[in-house]
Amino acid sequence: MSKTTIIDAKSRQFFPNFKEIRKYKDLFLTLAWRDFRVRYAQTTIGFLWAFIQPVVTLIILTLVFGKIAKVDTGPIPHTVFTTCGLITWTYFAFVMTNSGKSIIESQNMIKKIYFPRLIIPLSKAVVGLIDLGVTVLMLIILMIWYGLAPAPTAWLAPVFLLIGMIAALGVGIWLSALTIRFRDFQHIIPFIVQLGMFITPVAYPAEQAARQMPDWMMSIYYLNPMAGVVQGFRWSLFGGDAPDNFMFISFGVIVILFVTSLMYFKRVEDEIADFV
Amino acid sequence: MNEPIAIKVSNLSKRYTIGKQKDASLRSTLTSAFKSAATKGDDFWALKNINFEINSGDIVGIIGKNGAGKSTLLKVLSQITKPTTGRIEINGRVASLLEVGTGFHPELTGRENIYLNGTILGMTRKEVKEKFDDIVAFSGVEKFIDTPVKHYSSGMYVRLAFSVAAHLEPEILIIDEVLAVGDAEFQKKCIGKMSDVAAQGRTVLFVSHNIAAIKELCTKGIVLHHGEVQFSGNQTDAIDKYHEMNRGNVLSTQLKNEHVEILNFNIAPASGQFISISSGFIFSMDFMHQPSNGNLAVTFEVVNKDEIVVFHHGEWICSEKNSKQGRYSIQGTVPGNTLNAGNYFFNVIIATSLHHVLIQAENIAQFEVENETLAGNNSVLPGVLRPDIRYDFKFLDA
Repeated sequence: MSKTTIIDAKSRQFFPNFKEIRKYKDLFLTLAWRDFRVRYAQTTIGFLWAFIQPVVTLIILTLVFGKIAKVDTGPIPHTVFTTCGLITWTYFAFVMTNSGKSIIESQNMIKKIYFPRLIIPLSKAVVGLIDLGVTVLMLIILMIWYGLAPAPTAWLAPVFLLIGMIAALGVGIWLSALTIRFRDFQHIIPFIVQLGMFITPVAYPAEQAARQMPDWMMSIYYLNPMAGVVQGFRWSLFGGDAPDNFMFISFGVIVILFVTSLMYFKRVEDEIADFV
Repeated sequence: MNEPIAIKVSNLSKRYTIGKQKDASLRSTLTSAFKSAATKGDDFWALKNINFEINSGDIVGIIGKNGAGKSTLLKVLSQITKPTTGRIEINGRVASLLEVGTGFHPELTGRENIYLNGTILGMTRKEVKEKFDDIVAFSGVEKFIDTPVKHYSSGMYVRLAFSVAAHLEPEILIIDEVLAVGDAEFQKKCIGKMSDVAAQGRTVLFVSHNIAAIKELCTKGIVLHHGEVQFSGNQTDAIDKYHEMNRGNVLSTQLKNEHVEILNFNIAPASGQFISISSGFIFSMDFMHQPSNGNLAVTFEVVNKDEIVVFHHGEWICSEKNSKQGRYSIQGTVPGNTLNAGNYFFNVIIATSLHHVLIQAENIAQFEVENETLAGNNSVLPGVLRPDIRYDFKFLDA
């Protein structure tokens, strides 16, 4: 069992030590489990809350975009269309919000014991799977109700979900690391969630936006990492025209965000305990 | 001397920048990017060029006053914060306990918290499972193991938390004053557990204010003072060195105004080498009195760490008629068995009357009253005072 730990002031690494993080697998799972256990503690309707939030959001979005603005969603009923968008968007919003504030919330633990800090924001991706399951269940029920079969490309859907997870973690890890020194970013998180839904094609198709905007504006539109994910996920389930190349702008942004978030986190990791 | 080395610390320093925390806002960082580095906050070296080696199997006490750098050293050794310079080599599986019950969640049950806390302390879920029954038995809270810990009394909470920690099996254990919790009986149990750990040949690093506990547990001692190692060697020499440093706590800044100038202030044990519960202590002060008329009264206050004024006591030096300008010296003796063990500080008030204060010097000197072992018990008893009370008792009837 003997091992040697070296603490050297001069050593500098650019990336987190993933081998070490793997060793803390049990802690990672325990933290995720704890979050889930305490989430609905002392609420009377408990787990029902996990359904109420997406259902109410769906109703409002269907009313506003489907009935009032009369957005054209082609052959897919607007409700199904929006649920599909909500699956990726709510998962993204949950993981980003919770990982973003995770370091500040765990400051007492961070000041008292060592473990790879990255575990804290990463574990939120697991916690969010519960909400993801709920929205996926909603979609399945609606698809049965409307008698819609998934397209043959449906096997790609988990891939798009995975890309969405990486996007959420990329933004979340950036925010969690930035909040250590700049509490300003705490206030940015609800802002991203609120405004993000409008600039992401959750309740309307991106093609509709494309018809009204020149190409250069669409390039900017797809700088939003979730624009590509939401479009791609929906395409994989219901087919239609293959997604346009703008989607790859989103994916490029996601890769850059995720890689830089790991690098920035590593840079500030050693001084977290001095700042929180 | 050919024991393997467990911990080797070389040229270790840790710098904090004072004030950085406060103005670490986005705006100040943006603006300071355009300013020179010289305008930034002052540096404070919590640890300065620390070097020491700990052999495997040693039980080392780290001694020092508040602010000596003990906690910073522990944080650096436990990898909670990174050193500014230097290098540490640790051979073996380390567990550090800077508090008991890290990560405990009030909404979770005792059982769930054992798993949570255990994995946070570095055990795998499998290891926790294996030791689960022992942990519960040691804590003595079997009946409430499936109750959320928010309903626990603070004693139960601490006992459960310590039990998890006590069942860690590291090769090197780093502990910070966790013994200062729980009731006397439980503390005894904890000290017993720590002695067991030590007897198994593991290395223990123990930081405490409680010299009595260090005396009983440790074989080696490291004395820290203002972030530097003052002494490193065997336990008795380390404790002697610590006492020697604390004797005669001289005022660091001279206090003066137009009326009075306090020239010096000293505290010394009335008997023996250091201030303990039974030694009593003598405090003395020299001061310069400027007004040539008016009454002169000096009052001393001793305040404990909870800001409770333990006593407020003074003396009339002279009345208006025979008042003299010049230097005065005053000395007071507090008999042994007055104060309980702990840290105290002195306030001095020099006045002409209740309503006319000439100078009020707060926190003019600090001192520590050391605990004494009572019937084999090392822990500090509750209470502000430790009077030597004589009892008379007799058996009345059956």
